Amino acid sequence: MKRFWKDFAQGDLWVKGSCLVMGLGCLKRGQIVKGLLYFAAEILYFLFFFGFGWKYLSHFHTLGENAQLRVWNEEMQIYQRVPGDNSMLILLFSVLTISVTVLFICLWAMNIITASRLYQLEKENKHIQSLREDGEALLNERFHVTLLAAPMTTLLLFTVLPIIFMILIAFTNFDANHQPPGNLFTWTGMQNVTDIFLGNATKTRTFTGILGWTIVWAVFATFTNYIFGMILAIIINSKLVKAKKMWRTWFMIPIAIPQFVSLLLVSRALEPTGAVNVALMELGWIKTPLPFLTDVTLSRLVVIVVNMWIGIPYTMMTFSGVLMNVPEELYESASIDGAGPVRRFISITLPYMIFVTAPATITTFVGNINNFNVIYLLTAGGPASLDYYQAGKTDLLVTWLYKLTVDQHDYALASTIGIFIFMIVSICSLAVYNRTGAVKKEDMFQ
Amino acid sequence: MKKFVAMFLALVLCCTALAAFAEDITLKVWEGQDDQELLKELCEAYAAAHPENNYTFQYGVVGTADASARYLEDPAAAADVFVYPDDQLIRLAQADALYEVTRNHDAIVAANSIGSVNAATYQGTLLGYPMTADNGYFLFYDKSVLTEEDVQTLDGILAAAEKAGKQFNFDVANGWYLASFFLGNGCIITLDENGKQVCDFNSEKGVEAAKAVAALCAHPSFLPGDQNILTGTIGDSVCAGVCGTWVADAIKERLGDNYAAAKLPTFTVNGEQVQMGSFGGCKILGVNTQSAYPVEAMNLAEFLTSEESQLRRFEVRGYGPSNINVAKSEAIASDPALSALAAQSDYAVTQLIIGDFWTPASAFGNALIADPTVDVQPLLDQWVAQTIGQ
Repeated sequence: MKRFWKDFAQGDLWVKGSCLVMGLGCLKRGQIVKGLLYFAAEILYFLFFFGFGWKYLSHFHTLGENAQLRVWNEEMQIYQRVPGDNSMLILLFSVLTISVTVLFICLWAMNIITASRLYQLEKENKHIQSLREDGEALLNERFHVTLLAAPMTTLLLFTVLPIIFMILIAFTNFDANHQPPGNLFTWTGMQNVTDIFLGNATKTRTFTGILGWTIVWAVFATFTNYIFGMILAIIINSKLVKAKKMWRTWFMIPIAIPQFVSLLLVSRALEPTGAVNVALMELGWIKTPLPFLTDVTLSRLVVIVVNMWIGIPYTMMTFSGVLMNVPEELYESASIDGAGPVRRFISITLPYMIFVTAPATITTFVGNINNFNVIYLLTAGGPASLDYYQAGKTDLLVTWLYKLTVDQHDYALASTIGIFIFMIVSICSLAVYNRTGAVKKEDMFQ
Repeated sequence: MKKFVAMFLALVLCCTALAAFAEDITLKVWEGQDDQELLKELCEAYAAAHPENNYTFQYGVVGTADASARYLEDPAAAADVFVYPDDQLIRLAQADALYEVTRNHDAIVAANSIGSVNAATYQGTLLGYPMTADNGYFLFYDKSVLTEEDVQTLDGILAAAEKAGKQFNFDVANGWYLASFFLGNGCIITLDENGKQVCDFNSEKGVEAAKAVAALCAHPSFLPGDQNILTGTIGDSVCAGVCGTWVADAIKERLGDNYAAAKLPTFTVNGEQVQMGSFGGCKILGVNTQSAYPVEAMNLAEFLTSEESQLRRFEVRGYGPSNINVAKSEAIASDPALSALAAQSDYAVTQLIIGDFWTPASAFGNALIADPTVDVQPLLDQWVAQTIGQ
């Protein structure tokens, strides 16, 4: 950065001129095409900015002042509409304009750096690359620039930009009562955040309650699959079991059925008139149907159990792979030393498996915090609760967010919750990941 | 002078000639998947009836349930004319999505039933052209198990069901159906003059209605669940249930000659019989305020909801019409489901709900199903508090 200013201050008139007219430095030193390209970029940017961007950016601080107007048109006998400001488009295109401006500033800085570098080269009478040489460099030494240019641009446009747009919505009051073009929404600052934690008792209760259940669910979902998958893998792998391949195949079949389909079917089967209740009643084990999906405790148990059915095949597969890789000599030498099966398991198998699967398990844990499918398709977040704001007792933060967005159209609140989910998930995963053995002892594998 | 008059007349002639030039008009129309064929037929008929312009129609498949959501995604790109259910009216009106009906307003109001006109009205302004009036619910029953007298009262239904060892299905965990007890007993849920949600389900009358619901839940022949009248198998273990016209065909298939429908029964409150109320819903044809051809779109909408179109719609799709003349016709009167719906519509109210009514209603219903002896007052208070937005 300091070098940049030093170079710039030392530069001659042409370098300083590149501030205003991009590409001037290049043109002077013989790189005609590059200079013209820089200049064209400058013209295009100003056309974009004044022809399109400023229209929206000028309203960015208020997100629109005039809603659509109704004017009586005597001739047509209708109330004609005079278009007003559309808050959502203002927000979206302002963000777009700001990002394009940021990109342009980078381009402008590159232009200055190029100009001063060319000036240095000329001063020292070194060779200035022609267009052909520049092109060859891009294919050889600077190939990384060529390769990454397109992915970076698309990443910025299609991933980062929408995320910024949605984060900004959290600081507005964009909900069902503020839908453009009939209404405008505006900035409300931290109001949504204070609402969740201080302002509204129901929302606070809902948030803390759902957060608690989300953590409990993530822990149970991950570790039941982990432990039972491990046990299953060990049993199948042990010397006492014949036809290992057949057993493994049977337990892997649930993977073949799409999760979506199996969850919806099980959800239907658990209804009061569904297959499970009818079967149990026919067998005489129960008199009235069990409220699998309408009782709080039972529905929570149900989601955990069904998740086991879905998740154990995967963990079993992973552990089978790990188990088959534990060197036999370790077990042999341990049994020679007099270790029993339990001792062998605790000292050899367990550390090995934990070391290998810890990072993946953390990923699974973090994934379960956001496990939309299992919860939504099985219980739709139900049973609904009067204590909660638009949520049920098996709702995760992410399913609550979905309901707020699609059913309630409360985009501002949903966006705020989304930001919280992101914070929780990223802190969790970064904190735990950096402390796993796999990362700390990366160089010392066993 | 003569020259001047001649020039002036020539100019007038020119203008009229120019005005008679056919305009190219493109209109985008949205309706559900199953209605596309009929929609094309009616639009072509409209184009044929108006040869002075060249009409091009772009058809979009947008189910009525998704109408407002799809519209609000991008109002400028939405259809000029689209079908929406009346419960989305408030949302669309608040987004200033719909043109007011100002052309032939009185004729349209006179031609359609009061209920459907009210359903399409927001704050005193008619915001669409009523198209159907059959989004309500009523009683389906198996004639071999229940007599016409039985189905007059809820107690009669439950007694007959218990005797036959069958069940009566009512979706208590759904605010749409649950409200029938409260509305019947005189509670209100509506918007006041300022557009704020008003609900008194936790009043004394509401508590009486809630106790009646609890009594229903406690009865051995009660079967909860959405559309369990079908999945719980009517004709086998279910003998009656409350649902709407969308299951009429399926039930007719199962019951055959034993198929019957009636208005909702009366229920007992403090020893007296009270008629169950209901929500009456309509489908409405709206005109987009962002339309490039507002007047033509309005004319098309008026045509698509005219008496002839509504009769055609009933013939082809079986939708109950909102047009008064069509509703009085023989064809409608002989359809058990639609005549039951018409009988029930005397006790139906328009659905004016903008608050968070549905989720707490579901929670309340589930609470009663789980434990019919629970104290209803605090639960009702919570439900109403969330509905009116506190």
